[in-house]
Amino acid sequence: MRNLVKALIVLGLGFALVAMPCIDPAPAASTEKPIKIGFIHSMSGAMSMYGISSEAGAKIAIKEINTAGGVLGRKLELITRDDKLSAETGLREAKDLILTEQVDFLTGTISSAVALAISSYVAKEKKIFIVNVSQSSQITEEKWNPYVFRINTNAVPYWGYAPAIALGKTWKPKKIVSLGFDYECGKNSLAAFKEKYLELVPDAQIIDELWAPLGTTDFTAHISKIANSGAEALFLACIYGGGEIAFTKQAYAFGLYDKMKMIQPCAGDVETWSDVKKGDPYPKGALATCRYPFWAIDNPKNKAFVEEHKKMVGFWPSYGAMNEYVAIHALKKAIEKVGSVDTEKLIKELAGMELDTFIGTVLLRAYDHQAMMPNWYGIIEFTPDLPFPHVTDTHTIGAEGYHTIEQIKNLRK
Amino acid sequence: MTLEAALGQALSGISLGMVWFLIAAGLSIIFGTLKILNMAHGSIYMLGGFLCYQVTSTFSHIPGVFWLALLVAPLVTALVGGCIEILLLRRIYGLDMIYQYLLTFGLILIVAEVCKLIWGVGYNTVAVPWPLNDTVSLFGLSFPKYNLFMIGMGILVFVGLRALIGATSLGAVVRAVTHNREIANALGINVPRVYTGVFMLGCWLAGLAGTLTPPMSVVALGADVSVIIDCFIIVVIGGLGSIPGAFLGAIILGFTTAFGLYIIPKLAVAFGFILMIIILIIRPRGLMGEPD
Repeated sequence: MRNLVKALIVLGLGFALVAMPCIDPAPAASTEKPIKIGFIHSMSGAMSMYGISSEAGAKIAIKEINTAGGVLGRKLELITRDDKLSAETGLREAKDLILTEQVDFLTGTISSAVALAISSYVAKEKKIFIVNVSQSSQITEEKWNPYVFRINTNAVPYWGYAPAIALGKTWKPKKIVSLGFDYECGKNSLAAFKEKYLELVPDAQIIDELWAPLGTTDFTAHISKIANSGAEALFLACIYGGGEIAFTKQAYAFGLYDKMKMIQPCAGDVETWSDVKKGDPYPKGALATCRYPFWAIDNPKNKAFVEEHKKMVGFWPSYGAMNEYVAIHALKKAIEKVGSVDTEKLIKELAGMELDTFIGTVLLRAYDHQAMMPNWYGIIEFTPDLPFPHVTDTHTIGAEGYHTIEQIKNLRK
Repeated sequence: MTLEAALGQALSGISLGMVWFLIAAGLSIIFGTLKILNMAHGSIYMLGGFLCYQVTSTFSHIPGVFWLALLVAPLVTALVGGCIEILLLRRIYGLDMIYQYLLTFGLILIVAEVCKLIWGVGYNTVAVPWPLNDTVSLFGLSFPKYNLFMIGMGILVFVGLRALIGATSLGAVVRAVTHNREIANALGINVPRVYTGVFMLGCWLAGLAGTLTPPMSVVALGADVSVIIDCFIIVVIGGLGSIPGAFLGAIILGFTTAFGLYIIPKLAVAFGFILMIIILIIRPRGLMGEPD
């Protein structure tokens, strides 16, 4: 019996060896070694949806490029690693990718702590690192170095300036109350919002600032206070994830969405709401920002990308997927112009590049290597087109949503 | 402050407090009888939430499935509590306090990991059950029926517990064991069985609170630790071991949170702690606690 098993194993292995070349016809033509891109993301755990989605974005871009003959006759190759949302693990993977796998570029990350750890490492190794999801403005401002690029929005426009501009262009309420998680991101978000909004609507005021400890899931007393505050609008500062779902359920039950104008940044992204069906509580009629409203972008390339992403991983694409797709194409364009993967020359080429996106070209600003990716905004509603609530009547906010070069110069002092 | 606003804050405060009361009451009963400070009590509450999600999502085709969850989930947490008492706590009653801290703290980590293994790290939700998915109008204030239901459940449990412990023969046995374990034992009362029963009752209460919360909130990891801090504040205010103390403490903390938020919003996060410090200074055994 044992011998029979052994024989079967040998037979199986033999077949596998024989069959291999048939399954994967060796690319005899390209003797050039591939250009390697190290992709570090959260591939397991709470945030893995972003990692998986971003990886799909990269794979779609790489497939397009490789089918068309690669870059300078070389194929692109993606090597994925999981940072488990830990700066230590992320840094270890970055080292392994550069030293052992000898990748030419690094890209990815959701956690800003991971991004900052990799940033300072790539400066030593002189390799380019393109961030596609991490939001902390420090990555491209106070703690920036020339090897770091970001093709994504950042916390300044997303949590603060863009909602302020959107509100200034729509309802212009004078009396606003805010509710935020009591930690750094919440405080920064409200500060940025206040600064921009008061500049646009000088006679407005924040009549009350309410804070809840990070992780709060019962906002009943806050909502009751907000309902009776006499404010025309509520600005939600950095309340996201489970807190946002809990808040929305309670606010919906209290009828807050009918009572006042709501500015709920983040609610426009599909991630939190894609499971919400008609009849469930949702941020009804709220003004929300969004980093990739794929349903609102009328471009055949975008439509094909959404289909391809859904086919690949089974869910709607996140903004991370779009950013990663744009990032890989930007690398290709730069490498072709330079004619090699020389880091210093590529930095010069990428800085100030006009990126090809689904909504035309977007500047990758030379000063801070921050792409002026648009922030969309609109009103959250159900439409017959999609099964979940989403931003409708969308508009974009471009470079005006970001810190100016002057502001960044001051921050870096 | 208008009447409407005051009523809004008062109702919100009580609704916050009643969920805390259910958990704190269990914590208090367990401490009163077993002399165990169950740090993992919040974990049992969280487990109740996950079980509620599990029942409502598995049997989502049954209308009104939430009411089934309300029956089943607390029973399961009570059974889990029974296992914990029989298999683990029994071994440490005679030992130093530090052993119960280590054991119950260890349980926090174990329950959290088990929940993570079974239900993952995402956010799960439960719909507000019929016929409570609506609001009522009280003096011009619209308030969700479900929050009123939570308040009602809190009061019902308080009255029920008082009656159970104060007016039934079973309650007399529990009081006897709480009062003096040795004499109760000498009188022929099966003390270990009373201990198991009381621990299960405490866990049933935590499971009940865990099942009541999801329709107005979210089921996710992390609920264990955030709720246990509030409950410790409540038992410090009310007096550890006293059910009326837990009830009073919960209402006081609920009111302080709700009205504090109204009057000085910027300090709201600190109110619970300030209150606890004041009580500890003026009446260290808590408002209704027995002196040592």
